[in-house]
This record gives sequence, C-alpha cells and structure tokens, in this order.
Amino acid sequence: MNLTANKKTLALSGVLLGAIAAVLAYMGNPKNMAMCIACFIRDTAGAMKLHQAAVVQYVRPEIIGIICGAFLIAVVTKEYRSTAGSSPMVRFVLGMIMMIGSLAFLGCPLRMVLRMAAGDLNAYVALIGFVAGVFTGTLALKRGFSLGRAYTVDKASGTILPIAMVVLFVLSLTTTLFVSSEKGPGSMHAPVFIALIGGLLFGAIAQKCRSCFAGCVRDIILMKNFDLLTIVGGIFVVMVIYNIATGNFNLSFTGQPVAHAQHIWNILGMYAVGFAAVLAGGCPLRQLVLAGQGSSDSAVTFLGLFVGAAFCHNFGLAGVAAAAATADAPAVAGGPGINGQVAVIACIVILFIIGFMPKNKKN
Amino acid sequence: MRQKEWKLIITFHTTSDAIAFEKACKETGRSGRMIPVPRELSAGCGLAWCTVPADRADMETFLKECSIECEDMAELLY
Repeated sequence: MNLTANKKTLALSGVLLGAIAAVLAYMGNPKNMAMCIACFIRDTAGAMKLHQAAVVQYVRPEIIGIICGAFLIAVVTKEYRSTAGSSPMVRFVLGMIMMIGSLAFLGCPLRMVLRMAAGDLNAYVALIGFVAGVFTGTLALKRGFSLGRAYTVDKASGTILPIAMVVLFVLSLTTTLFVSSEKGPGSMHAPVFIALIGGLLFGAIAQKCRSCFAGCVRDIILMKNFDLLTIVGGIFVVMVIYNIATGNFNLSFTGQPVAHAQHIWNILGMYAVGFAAVLAGGCPLRQLVLAGQGSSDSAVTFLGLFVGAAFCHNFGLAGVAAAAATADAPAVAGGPGINGQVAVIACIVILFIIGFMPKNKKN
Repeated sequence: MRQKEWKLIITFHTTSDAIAFEKACKETGRSGRMIPVPRELSAGCGLAWCTVPADRADMETFLKECSIECEDMAELLY
C-alpha cells in the first residue's frame, strides 16, 4: 500500500505511528514519553556511560529499531542510497544544538506533540517557539543558506550506523557493559522486544511517509502544503484518544510528567530545535530515518545528538522536571539552570551565525 | 479531489537551489509552482519545481542561464 498516495493515506500512516506510540506507552514507557527521540538517545548515551545521570540510563531499543527499520525498508524497496559530503561538522553541531534545545524543554518535537495530546499546556507554549524557529530557518533558506549537496559514496558508508545499532542491541542483551536506571524515567520501559518491534515499525513507516515535524511546518510556510501535517494530525488524534481512555489526559500547566512550566525556556528551547532542524534538513526523528536509508550526513547529525546528550547531563545544561513538595523535599519549579539557559542562548546565536553568515549566501 | 495531470517535475540537490530557481522563475514570469518532491521520485523531503511538460526545453535552457544544476527532471501524473 502506498502510504503517500493522498492525504487520507498520509493520515493513516500518522494513525499507525500513533498506535505504535500508544502501545509503547501502555507497555511501560514513561508517561507522555511513549516515543521521544531526544530522551531515548539521551538514555542510550547514559547507558553507555557517556553521562552519569543515574535516572536516565537505558539502551532504548526504539532508537535502534527506528534506524534499522528505515534501513531495512529502504533496502527492500530499493531506496537505499549511501550519500555523504554535505558539511558533516556543521551537521554535528546542529545535532548537538537540537539536543540542547530539546533537553531544555524536555522533549523532541515528537514528544512535544505527545505531550500536547496529553493536555500538557507547556507543550503548546513550546510549539510557539518551535514554529518561530522553523520560520527563522526558512528565512535563512530564502537568503540562500545551504549545507551543500550530498554525493553518492561507497555503499558501505551508509551501513555503518545500522550495523553499529545491531551490535549495540546484541551487547545490551548479552553483556553487562551497559547500565540501566533503577528509578526515574530510565527505569520505565516497554519489554525489550516489543520496544524493538515498535521501533522497527515506526522507522519503516516514517521512512515511507517521510514524516518530519520541522518539515511539516516548513512546507506550510514555504508552499502552504499540509501533507506532512496530516501525519502529525494522525499521531495527535490517536494519542488524545489513548490518553483520555487511560485517564492520562490532564489539561494544565502543572502536574505534568517530566515537564516544567518555565515558559520562556520552553519557547527558546524549541525555537533552537525548530531553527536547527530546518538548517539540518529534518527533525531528530527524520535524521534517524535518513541515517537509516543511507545518509552518512544524517548519521553525523545523530552523533551530534548523542554527544549533545552527554554534554547536557555532564555540564548541567538539561532542564529539570517540576515536582510538587513532599514531606522530605520542597517543591521544584524545574526548567534549565543557569548553565542550560546560557547554552540555549549560545545555541541560538550560533544558529544565526550558521544560517545568516554572508558566506552562506548563494553567489 | 483534484484531478491528476501530467506535470514536469524538476528536483534539486539542495533546498536553497529549489528556492533560488522558484525566485528566478517568478521574476521572469514563468509558469509553475513549488511543491514537495513527489514520493514517487525520491525518499528525500526536499522541494521541487512543478510545471507543464511543454516547458521542458525552456526549463533546461533557463536552468543553465541561472547556473543551477537540477538533480532530476521527470514527467509524472501529479
């Protein structure tokens, strides 16, 4: 079946993606975090001891599944193309920025939509920043920003990341090399093989329908084209139904799982993510899918996300979730600390330099 | 539902090339519009220029005039 034939089939692909997320949420993934590319890369980086935040360490099979699912479907449908050479180090930096922005908000654009579907009003505030970031990115594109074209390279290049993911998965099952959180979000997860199958299906469907959270806003701004938004709509509707059915829908700013109500940092964090995603040619989910279908440039962006996650927790850049007062501890307002706030501002400055430097103007 | 018609689709190596070509076409009054790259042509998610097949020769010449290299030029029902 052609999932991109028309808006109905695109919406169906969104419904399928939403259904996978709902199953993963039901099977044990953290609340409002059925599938989050930034959080799950961060957890995996923690499991590999790239950072020491004890509550967010776990090799997430979903990440492995998305990359390998996109790889397998691309090979089967003869769409696998090994490409590289489009400003890899700039992409690495953009990957890091996407992670820093995501962890200031506490979620990638996919989780932003999942949080919106659970009634988290902070995610609606963050959406303002995300749309503004994508809009700024499109202005850079209109001014001639380009990372340059990618070239076809040796087929092996595009297989490195999927193979590395398989090795990571096998090692996570057969050795004690990696650590797993005993409490906190890292300790909450769906059973390994259900998470892997969910990831494989998610990656394969996302590859076929080209779902991208930054791309959908970009297409609306540049062409008034709503095709990609249809997919996001499908995910949103399914998750709203799931959250209402399971009693997880809570329309408020407070009391939301793994979230904070520091509006300015929710906006600026997602502003950086939207801006960086347009410059990099796709949101974190899209980068994983592109890496799976052979783009070494997107694989480098993935590495940027990975290292960025380690930076966030090693240097105190990540936001802290709000928490109500308990008998033992006072209430926590949450949000990024001073290090994180400086980092988000610095990231936005760097994005303007990358996107609007005169050397990037064509001719 | 919109009736599909045969169209000439021009894809580019970069998004900025597509945007630059759109700007040049509009400035010179050429017909056509920017669209997302049709899924039939690519698994990528870039932008493409869509016009009528009769414009092929003009488009080939104009691309050279603009010094913009296209990735592909294909006719399909869109």
